[in-house]
Amino acid sequence: MSKIAIKKIRVGVASCGVAAGADAVLELLRNRALPFTVEETGCLGHCYAEPLVEAVLDNGESVFYRNVKADDRDIDNILALGEKDRFEIPPKRKSKELIKVLALAGKIDPTNFDEYVENGGYAGLKRALSMTPAEVVNEVKLSGLRGRGGGGFPTGTKWSFLAAKDTQEKILICNADEGDPGAFMDRSLMESVPHQVLEGMLIAAYATGATKLFIYCRAEYPMAIKHLKIAIEQIYAHRLNTVGDRVLEIIIKEGAGAFVCGEETALIASLEGQRGTPRFRPPFPTDKGWQGHPSMINNVETFGNVPLILREGAEAFAAIGTEGSKGTKLFALAGDLKNPGLVEVPMGTTLREIVFDIGGADPDKVKAVQTGGPSGGCIPVELFDTPVDYDSLKKLGAIMGSGGMIVIGNDRCMVETARYFLDFTHRESCGKCTFCRVGTTRMFETLERIVAGQGEMSDLAFLEDIGPKIRAGSLCGLGQTAPNPVLATLRFFRHEYEEHVKDHRCEAMQCDAFVDMYLDRAKCIKCKLCIKNCPIGAISDDFAIDNTKCTKCNACKEICPKKTIFRVKKGELL
Amino acid sequence: MSIEFILDGQTLTAKAGQTIMEAAQEFGIKIPGLCREARISKTTSCFVCVVRDKKSGRYLPSCATLPSPGQEIESSSPEVLDMRKTALSLLLSEHAGDCEAPCTVACPAHANVEEYVRAGRKGEFLNSLKIIKERIPLPMSIGRVCPRFCEKDCRRNVYGEAVAINDFKRLAADLYYDEYIEDLPELSGKKVAIVGAGPGGLSAAYFLRLEGIEPTIFEAQPKAGGMLRFGIPEYRLPKATLDRELAHFDKIGVKFEFNQKLGRDFTLDQLKSKFDAVIVAIGCWKASGLRCEGEELATPGIDFLYKISSNGNVAPNPGKVVVVGGGNTAMDCVRSSVRLGSADVNCFYRRTEAEMPAEKIEIAEAKEEGVNFHFLVAPLKLEKRGEKLVLICRRMKLGEPDASGRRKPIEIPNSEFETEADTVIAAIGQGTLSPVGIPTDRFGNIELIKDSSKFGERLYAAGDCVSGAATVVEAVASGRQAALEATNALLGKALIIDHAVYVSRGKWQDLTQEDLVFLRDDVSTDLREKLKFINLESRKNSFEEVCQTMSSVQITREGERCIECSCTAKNDCALREYGDAYNCDANAIKGKRLPVSYDIRHPAIIQDRGKCIKCGVCVKVCKEVVNQTLLSFKKRGFSTCVGTTFDKGLPDSCIECGECVESCPTGALAWRIKK
Amino acid sequence: MNRKYEFLKKIDPETSNLIKGLQAIQGVEGYVSDESISAVADYFSVPVVEVEGVLSFYAQFKRVKPGKHQIAICDGTACHIKGSTQVSEWLTFELGIHPGETDKSGLFSLETVACLGCCSLAPVMSVNGRVYGTLDRKSVVKILKEYENK
Repeated sequence: MSKIAIKKIRVGVASCGVAAGADAVLELLRNRALPFTVEETGCLGHCYAEPLVEAVLDNGESVFYRNVKADDRDIDNILALGEKDRFEIPPKRKSKELIKVLALAGKIDPTNFDEYVENGGYAGLKRALSMTPAEVVNEVKLSGLRGRGGGGFPTGTKWSFLAAKDTQEKILICNADEGDPGAFMDRSLMESVPHQVLEGMLIAAYATGATKLFIYCRAEYPMAIKHLKIAIEQIYAHRLNTVGDRVLEIIIKEGAGAFVCGEETALIASLEGQRGTPRFRPPFPTDKGWQGHPSMINNVETFGNVPLILREGAEAFAAIGTEGSKGTKLFALAGDLKNPGLVEVPMGTTLREIVFDIGGADPDKVKAVQTGGPSGGCIPVELFDTPVDYDSLKKLGAIMGSGGMIVIGNDRCMVETARYFLDFTHRESCGKCTFCRVGTTRMFETLERIVAGQGEMSDLAFLEDIGPKIRAGSLCGLGQTAPNPVLATLRFFRHEYEEHVKDHRCEAMQCDAFVDMYLDRAKCIKCKLCIKNCPIGAISDDFAIDNTKCTKCNACKEICPKKTIFRVKKGELL
Repeated sequence: MSIEFILDGQTLTAKAGQTIMEAAQEFGIKIPGLCREARISKTTSCFVCVVRDKKSGRYLPSCATLPSPGQEIESSSPEVLDMRKTALSLLLSEHAGDCEAPCTVACPAHANVEEYVRAGRKGEFLNSLKIIKERIPLPMSIGRVCPRFCEKDCRRNVYGEAVAINDFKRLAADLYYDEYIEDLPELSGKKVAIVGAGPGGLSAAYFLRLEGIEPTIFEAQPKAGGMLRFGIPEYRLPKATLDRELAHFDKIGVKFEFNQKLGRDFTLDQLKSKFDAVIVAIGCWKASGLRCEGEELATPGIDFLYKISSNGNVAPNPGKVVVVGGGNTAMDCVRSSVRLGSADVNCFYRRTEAEMPAEKIEIAEAKEEGVNFHFLVAPLKLEKRGEKLVLICRRMKLGEPDASGRRKPIEIPNSEFETEADTVIAAIGQGTLSPVGIPTDRFGNIELIKDSSKFGERLYAAGDCVSGAATVVEAVASGRQAALEATNALLGKALIIDHAVYVSRGKWQDLTQEDLVFLRDDVSTDLREKLKFINLESRKNSFEEVCQTMSSVQITREGERCIECSCTAKNDCALREYGDAYNCDANAIKGKRLPVSYDIRHPAIIQDRGKCIKCGVCVKVCKEVVNQTLLSFKKRGFSTCVGTTFDKGLPDSCIECGECVESCPTGALAWRIKK
Repeated sequence: MNRKYEFLKKIDPETSNLIKGLQAIQGVEGYVSDESISAVADYFSVPVVEVEGVLSFYAQFKRVKPGKHQIAICDGTACHIKGSTQVSEWLTFELGIHPGETDKSGLFSLETVACLGCCSLAPVMSVNGRVYGTLDRKSVVKILKEYENK
C-alpha cells in the first residue's frame, strides 16, 4: 500500500472556530515548513468540534480532526494522519441533513474567487443573464422560495413588485442584520461563502431592475464584512456587477446595534442615516423605500438560496420540502445539547429529528425548544413531532424566525427564560409605539417580580391580557412578536409560573430568590478557596454560607475542587 | 375619488387620501388620538386611535389608515374601547407628574385648592370664594372646623410646615359669603326630597339647585345644620356664623320642612310618591356605650353636646368630669366641660396620645385649657356611690398593631383603680340610627349599591349615615356625589362627577427638597402664618370662638408659600381628558414611572420628560412647521426621550413661538407661568 | 474643519452616511465625544441634536472613553442559559466595575452585548473583538491576567 500524502490542509477559521482557538492552530501550522498549503476555510457547521482541521489527501479524500489544540502534539498527530481526534459527522446527523445552501461552506476558501467559480459559482447568474428578467422572477416564483428572514413572504412575488416599478432608481437591500440572539446562520454563510450571497443579489438585481445594492450587516460580524468586501472587489474586478446595460454599485453598510433594524422600514431609516424606527405601512418599501425609491429587502439566506434555484432549476428546488415551504432551511442549534452547530435540513423535518438526531440532545433531559429567537415561542417536547415549516410553527404560537433554535433542558426555568427574552426585546424596542414601548417594559417588570418571588396570580392574568394587545397594537414585527415567549410559556408551562407565584419555588433552581447555597461540610477539605473567592464575604471561617447575604453567583460552587457546594431549593437543606 | 366605508354600522365617505380618523371627524364622530397633528407628517405611535377591521379582526391606527371601499370598521365595540383604554393606561402607568396638587387630591371634596390659594395670594378673595364653592358650599363652617386633609398632604411639609390652606376658605367666606350669589339655572321641574339638613343634606340640596333641580329638605330638628349646630360647640363654630351661612340656602331657593322626622312624620314611600328622587342624609346620632357594666350611668357624648348647643350654650356645671374616648367628640366634650365651669376635667383613653384619632391641634388646645389626659386606661365598670359616680378602670399596654394599623391595647392584670366623678361621658363612637326598611351594612350604616350613591330605585344616601361618623367635608363631598348622580338620572345628563385620572409623584413624606421644583420664582421661605387666639381666660370661661380669622395681609403672605405642585397642563391635557373619558386608573398597571425631570432653564418654557408620551409632535412641529430643529428624540425603548442639543435646554435661538407647547398633548412642554 | 477629523473626508457627506461617519469617529477615537458630534453634524449638515438622536439610538456607540481592553459579555440566548449572568458577576468581582463602566486605570471596560454569534461555544465573551468560548471562572480569570500584562 503506497503511502497517501496530504495535499493540503484547511483550517476552519470562521468566528466560531477562532473563538475556539483555530487562529492559533493555523499559525502553528503555518510556522511549520510544510510541502503543501495551509488554507483558511469557513464553517462546516460542527461548532462543537471546533477547532476543526481538514487534511485533504492525494486521493481526493479528506481526514478531519476535531477540537485541535494549538500544541505540537496535536499538530504532529494531524501531519502524521494519526488516529487520535479524528472527526466524522455523526451518522444520525448525516442521514437527516441535506446540505444545499451550505454545500461550499467549510470546503472552500471564502476569499478565493476561483474556488467558488470552480465549484459551480456564478453558474446561476450566468443562466439568469441568458433569460429575460421576467423569466427569472418567474423561476423564483415557481421555486416556491419564501423569505428566510422570518416572515416567510413568497420571494418571487416580492421581486415582481419591484420589477413592476418603472423608476430610474431601484434599490435592493440584503438584510444581514442578524440580530436574534442565538442565531448565526447568516454570519456563517457570509463568512464561509460570501460570493453565494452576492450572486443571489446580482441575480435579483437583474430580475428586478435594481440599480443600487446595499448589504446592511451587523457591525458585530467583522469577519463577514471583511469577506464580503473582498468578494465585492473580486466581483468588480471580474465585472460581474454589469448586468444587462447597468453597472451596479454594491455598498456595505454596517448596522450600529439595533435589533429593530431587522424590520424593513426601520432598516431603511437606518440606511438613510436616521434613527431606526419603523413607520406605518403603506406605503410599502417596494413603493417608497430608501430615499423615496422603490426598495426591496431580502435576507442573507434568501439570497443564498437564489443561485441554487437558477443553477439547478425551480423544479429541483421545489422538489425539496413541504407543500407550503420549499427547499432547505438553516438552523443555528444551541443550548442544552451535545452537538450544537449550524445545520441544514429540508423544510418539514420534525423538531424531534433536529434536536435529538442531529443535535444529539438527550431525550430524557429536554423539555422544550425555542424557535425564532426572542420573537419566537417555546415548544414543549410533547410537540416535537411538529414539522418545521412556516405554517406549522405559527399554529403553535412560535415562528420560524430566521432560524435560531435553542434547546432548553429540564434544568432550566421557563419563567426565567421568558424573562430573559423580554429583557432583550423591551430593551430593543425602538420606543415608538405605546404598546411595545411601555407594554413590553411592563411585561418584563412583571416577570422580574415573579422570578424574584414577588409575583401574584393577578400578574399572570395581566400578562395574558396585555400580550395579545401588544401584538395587535404595534407597528412592526418586534412588538408584534415580543410577547410570544411569554404567551407560549404561559400556555405550555403555566404550572411553572404558578409554582413561582404560589409556592415560591423554582423547580429548576435557576431563580436566585428561591435558591440557597449549600456546602456539604462532610466532604469539605477546608481549602478555603470558596471563602477567598466569595465576592461578598458570605462564607464564614467555619464554612457556613450566609444565604441572606449570598447573591448566588456560584463563584464558590465553580471554584470548589471537591464539588461540595450546591444550589438547593430555599429552606430545603438548612 | 371618494371611498365609501362603514364605521360602526354607518356608511361614511372618505375623500381621496383621507384617513379613517379624518373621515369620521367630518362625519361628526371623534376618534381620540394623541400623536396626530394636522400640520405635520404622521407619526402613528400612540395607538389610542385604534379601530378594528371587522373582517380580519386587526386593529388599525385610524390616524394613518386609509379606508378601503366597503371596509367595515369598528370604533366603539367593547374590544376597541378596551384597546384604547389599555393604551391610555400604559401611557398613564409611565406618566410622572401631578395631575392635581396633592392638597386637591387629599381634599375629600377635591376642591381646587391650588387655584383658590393662588386667588387668595393675589388678594382676589371673591374669586377665591367662587372656586371654593364649586366644591364646598359650606366654606364658613368648613373654614373653621375642617381637620385639613389638604394640609396633611401639602408638599410644603417637606420644608417644615404646610400652607395654612383652610384659613383661605375662612377669610374668603367671611369677606364675601353674603355677597356672592351663584348663577342659578332655571328650575327644570324635577324635584328631589332630602332627609336631613346636616352638611350632607345641605350639600346635596346646593348642588341639585345648581343643576336646576328643586330641593326640599326634611329635618327632624327645628333648625338646620345637623352636627354643625348640635354637635360642634359654639367656641369652634359660632351659631351666628352658621346662621349666616345657612341663610344663603334660603336665598337660592332650597326649601326646608322642619320638625319632620323620617319614620315618625313621614315614610320614604310617601316622599317617593311626591318627589322624583330622595336623598337620605340623616347622619350618625346614636352614641356608642362604654361597653362595660353600668354603662347606662354615663352620658353619651353627643347628647351632652346637644344639650348645651340646643340651650344657647347654657348648662349646669358638670362637676368633676371624666370623658372616655380619644376622638374629636371627646375633645368637644372636655373643652365644653371646661367652659361650663368644671375645674377638674379628665380624658381617659386606652391607647397613647400618638394613637388618638382626635386632631392634634384639638388635643393641644384642650391641654392649654387645663384638661388632664390619662392614657392607657380602659373602663371596667361604672357605679353610682351616693351622689358620685365611680369609674373603675384597668391599665393597659400596647401590643402588636391591629387591623387599623394602630397598636392594640392589652390589659395589664391586677392594675385596676377607681376614679370618682360627677359626670362620666362616653365619647367612644357614633352609629347610624337607620329607619326600618333601609339596607344596612354590618356597622348599621346605609349600604349602597356598588360604585354608586344609590340604595334603591330613585333612592340615594349621603354623609355620615353611609360612611359612619366622619367629617363635615366628607359629608359635603358625599352629598355632592349623590346630588350629581341624581341629576344625571333625572335630567339624562352625563356629568363626569370627578376625574378618574390622578397621576401623582407621591406623598411629600417620600420626597426630598431636591424633588420639589419651584415653578414660581418667588416662593416665600417664611414660616407659616400664626392664628390669633383669644386669651386663655376667655377660652376657659366662655363659648366665644377661640381663634380669629386671619387677616387679608396674612393670607396674601401665606399664599406666597404655596409651591403650586400641580401639572402646568392640568386643564389642557389630552391624556387626562381621554383617560377620564375611558375611566382609566393611573395606577392600574404596575411598573416604574419615568423620572420627573422638570427642566426650567428656559425662562418661559418648561420641559418635563416625565410627562412625555413620545408622540414626537413637538419634534416635528419645530422642524416641519417652525423650520427649526431644536428638539430630537434621543435613546430608545422605555428610555426614549425628547432632548435638546447636548441636553443644554432650549437654546437662545428658540424664538419662543410656543408651537411645541401648544401642540404638546400633555404637560411635557408647557408655559412656565400657570395661566 | 478641525484637522483631527480629516479622515471624514473619505466619506461622501450625504446624510445617509451619517452613521458611517460616526462609526469612523468611534473607530479612530474609541468613542464619540461632544466635539466629534459637532464635527460630524457640521460635515453632514445635520443639526447636532439630530446627530445625538441617531447616535443614542444605536447600542454600538459609546459616549465615554472606553478602557484599553474592551470586554463584551455575550448575553445571547445560548450564552444566557449557559450562565452569562455569572460570567458577568465574576468579571465585576475581578475588575470592580459593572457592565457599562471602565475601571479607574482605564485598562478594562465592560459591556454586555446581544449576541456574538458563537452560540455553540456558550458562554462566550470577547476582548477587543477576539472571542473566547466555553468560559468558566478559571478561564475568565486567566484571560484577564493575559490582558493585564499586555
